[in-house]
Order: sequence, then C-alpha cells, then structure tokens
Amino acid sequence: MRPSKINPKRVSYTLSLLASYLLTIWIVLTLNFLIPRLLPGDPLSALLDSESSNYVFDPQIRQALETYYGLDQPLITQYGQYLLDALRGDLGASIQFNQPVIRLIQSHLPWTLLLTLTAMFAATLFALIAGSEAGWKRATRTDRLLTTSSIILANTPVYFLGMILVIIFGAKLDWLPLAGGRTAFAHYDSFIAMISDIGKHLILPAFTLSASIAGVSFLLIRNNMIMVIKEDFMLVARSKGIPEQRLKWNHALRNAILPFIAHMAAHAGMAITGAVFIETLFNYPGMGRLIFDAVGSRDYPVIQGVFLIVALIVVSANLLADLINARIDPRIREPLT
Amino acid sequence: MKASLSSSYPSAPVMQILTRLYAWINNLDWDILLSSLILIFITSIAIFAPLISPNDPHDFIGKPLEPPSSAHLLGTNDAGQDILSELIYGTRISLSVAIGAALGTMLLSLIIGGLSGYFGGWLDRILMRFTDVMLTLPRLPLLILLASFLDAGLWQTILIIALLFWQGKARLIRAQVQSLRQRGYIKMARSYGASSLYIFQRHILPQIAPLIVFGLVAAAGQAVAMEAGLAFLGLGDATAKSWGLMMRFALNLPGLLLTERWLWWLLPPALSVTVLMLAITFLGIGLERIWNPRLEQHD
Repeated sequence: MRPSKINPKRVSYTLSLLASYLLTIWIVLTLNFLIPRLLPGDPLSALLDSESSNYVFDPQIRQALETYYGLDQPLITQYGQYLLDALRGDLGASIQFNQPVIRLIQSHLPWTLLLTLTAMFAATLFALIAGSEAGWKRATRTDRLLTTSSIILANTPVYFLGMILVIIFGAKLDWLPLAGGRTAFAHYDSFIAMISDIGKHLILPAFTLSASIAGVSFLLIRNNMIMVIKEDFMLVARSKGIPEQRLKWNHALRNAILPFIAHMAAHAGMAITGAVFIETLFNYPGMGRLIFDAVGSRDYPVIQGVFLIVALIVVSANLLADLINARIDPRIREPLT
Repeated sequence: MKASLSSSYPSAPVMQILTRLYAWINNLDWDILLSSLILIFITSIAIFAPLISPNDPHDFIGKPLEPPSSAHLLGTNDAGQDILSELIYGTRISLSVAIGAALGTMLLSLIIGGLSGYFGGWLDRILMRFTDVMLTLPRLPLLILLASFLDAGLWQTILIIALLFWQGKARLIRAQVQSLRQRGYIKMARSYGASSLYIFQRHILPQIAPLIVFGLVAAAGQAVAMEAGLAFLGLGDATAKSWGLMMRFALNLPGLLLTERWLWWLLPPALSVTVLMLAITFLGIGLERIWNPRLEQHD
C-alpha cells in the first residue's frame, strides 16, 4: 500500500471532532459538579441526609465536615479543586463502602465491559446475518416475521425479557444460575473451571441484553440493505452476472454496513442503559449493580462517579465511531489509486 | 390510490364520501386499531380506577403475601395490600407520566428546534451544538443522577424525563423548519411584513403537525419505559403505586423466583408496562404509515 499523504481536510475534520468531544467532556464534568449544588440540598446535606443512617447531629462535626469537603470555599475554588481531583482520578469516597469511588469502579467496570461487549458482539453478528437476509428477501414471510419480532424486542423493557428468561432457564429448568457474576466463595481448581463458572453466569444476562440490542440493529441493517439494493451499482453488478450470494454479501452488505457503524456508538449508550437494568435484575457485579446499590443507600459520591465514568466511556465510543466512519466512508476518503 | 378512486367519481359528493370511507376501511390499519383499543382500555381503567378497584391500594386489607383467592384475585403484597388494586392504580401513574413527559418533551423540542431552524445563524450553531452534546450523554445514568438528587415525585419525574428526551426530536423539527423557511410562500409572507410568530403559527406549525404527533407518541413510549425503569431501580416516590415500584418490591423479596409468587406479583406489572409500551409503539408505526406514505417504500 502507498503511504497515505496527509490530507489537510481530514486533519481539520479530526481536530474539530476532537474539540467538540473535549467540549462534551467538559460539560459532563461541569454537570456532575453543578447538579448536586443546584438541586435542592447542598452536597453536605446530601452526604449527611437526615433520612440516611449517616446523619450527623453534632453541628461542630458538620462544620468540620464542611471544611473537609471544601464547601466553605467560594464556588469557583471548589470547581477548580473538583476538576483537579477528577483529572487525578480522585472521585471522592463512598459513604456506604467506605473506600475510594475509583477503586469501586475499578472492580465493577470489567464485569460491565464483559457483559456489554459480549452482548454487542452477539447482537451485531445476528443483525448482520438476519438483517441482510431479511432486507435481501424483503416482504417475504421470513422478513415480516423477523421485522415484527424485532420491533417487539426493541420496545420490550429489557427487565421483562430478563425476568422471563431467568424464570424459565434459571428457576424452572435450573440450567443456569439465577444471579451473580460467579459462584460466591468459590475456590477454583483450575483456570478453566473459573472461566466456565463465569461463562455460565454470563449466558442469561448477556443473552437478554443482546436480544434487546439485536432488535434495533436488525432493523437498521435491514433498512440499509433495502436502500442499497435500489442503488445503480447493484443493477450494474447484477447485469454483469455476479452470482447471487456474492452480490448479497460482497456488494450489498458491505455498503449497508457503512451507516451502521455510526450507530454502533449509540448502541454503546443503549447497552449501558440495558446493563443497568440487567445487572440489577441478575445481581451481576457490574457498574449497573453498583449504581443501584448506591441509589438504595443514597451514596451520592458513587452515583456521581459512576455517571462520570459511564459518560466518558460513551463519549469516547462516539468519538471512535466518528473517526472510524470518517476513515472508511468513501465520500470522505481520498480516491485510492 | 385514494386520489385515483375519488377522481373516478368527481361529481357526486355522496359517492366521494363513500369511496373515501371504502378506502379508509380498506386501508384500515390493524396496528392502529389494536393499539388504540388497548390504549382506550388502559385509559378507562385509569379514569375509573376508584370504581373498579376492589380495594384502596394503600389499605392493609389482609395478611402479607397471600396467594390469589376469590377475595384478592392477585393475592397480597409483602405489606398485605391488594395487588390487583395496586395494578389498577398503577395505570394512573404510567399514563400521567406518559402524557406529561410527552407534552414537555415536545414543547422543548418545538422551542429549541423551531428557534434553531427558523432563525439559523449563531443561535442555530449554539443550540445545535448543545443538542449534540445532550445527544451524546448517556441518558439513564444522567436520569439516575438527577432523580437521586431531586428525590423525585411524580412532577419531578415528568420534568427530568422531558429534560432528557427532546434532543432527537428537536433535530427533526429543526431540519423541517429549515427547509420550510426557504419555501416561496413563506419568504413572500415575510417580505409582506408578517411577524415571525405569525408565520410560525400560520404556515410552519400546520406543516410540522405530523412530526409533532409522531414525536408525542414516541416520547410517551419512552416516558413509560423510563418512569417504570426509575421506579424499578428504586428511584421515585416510595409510597406511590406504580408498576415499576411493584416490581421493585416484589424483587426485593428474597427467593421470589423460587416460589410461585412471581406469577401474580412480578409478572402482572411487568406485563402491563410491556403491553402499554408496545401499544404506543405500534400506534406510532401505524400513524407514520398513514401520514408519511413515502416511508412505506422502505418498510
């Protein structure tokens, strides 16, 4: 391959993309700082909610806490301190678990990544095959069946889907574990035993999540496929006598995937939303379960920390999708010679 | 198709009405028919809840965790309240949030999309940049953050859902308004000195009415999902009788899935949320097919 020349247009596009994402990250950080301070109750009364078990009656201790958290400083100083702390990875300490928020996130994030990435991979694989098949043979019975069930899947609350699956395969048939990310207090004899235990716990939550994402992905691929089939180049390829299967996979699907990649980032947000419900339902030890537990005990630093990290991940996924899209979309790419 | 049918009987008004009626019945949309029936059914339950509900859902009328009986068709919950009554009153919360949040969402997207599309320029750039940022943010975590700091009741839930779901709809409205603004008759109206507000009400609003209706339906569906979802996560008014909270309390019972209790305690509210969401979705799909026949080609 020829070494690619620097394309000034693309450099400026990438730079403006980066700038807009930096702006988004700054807004995320600022929102996270402002929401507790603008909404009723200052962060201290939130930390020391009179309804929570941590409520402190002694005004002197409350005063000391206020100084400790820097709430007696002017807002702008607090903001500067907050930004510095956040950049250093200091997200405060959890009230409930009594340990740094960032450490809690470090131990929960891998589970969520495992769950969401597995689910997204499975959903995408299904959508690519079923979506191109349905779009190719549009308005047939298979297409109608797949399309209607995808619309239903995409609009069914993910916890309902999960409930049905866990009742059938977990409680009734007893094939798969009801909850958790691994067997509690298990000592594994081998690495394989650990993997198979984690895998067994992963099947139901990951399948639920992928089913709910697959509905939307399928509809997207199918509609893209229908659009591509109508393009002139398809007619040309067909008239050249290219066999049906090659026409479908090499010519149509390749082009139908392009707009799909931009949507992959949106899927990251959707997968996170689904993961929060699924992890809550299945008691899966990821970020969703963490935020659910934090909500239950009004552990505000954890809620804020999880929001911040999840927002950063979703924003980065969006940036990545935009960059990939700019790279592979022939309308942006320079002609290859 | 409608046009060709009515043009074959151009002179007789009665025939015209009949052919229209025929075309209407012929095109009768099962999506719309079924989903409207379900929605009317749920709405009547919500309106007449005090009449049809066997008990007050807040009353402690029996022993906790009773199985279904003739007195309590769906048994009682962990506090000894009648589950069927809770389910009936739950329609009120889901529908109020659906309607309230849909109206709020569309008002916001109409204001932001309308201003952005109509005036363009720097206002458009600022508003759309803001919209893009809001589109990128993960909604549910932000919703959880807001709800947990607001200690959300019904109104707060409606407000925060409206605040987080306008972005995509605002973009659609902006695009439509932007293209309408370039049309000759609107340019002409402007050159005659018509005020922006007048043009918006007289010429633009009727044109984007279908968009607004689709948006309302879509937003109502999202609002139902989000309200139930927040309550499912334990956010919101803990004394309210909503479907999401019923599921939360049921799931809080250890070993719920190992007994038969899920059948009358967990399943009915979960099924209700799902049926309501699907009815709203298919209503939206049906309406879109009627008002936007171009879409059907891709469908």
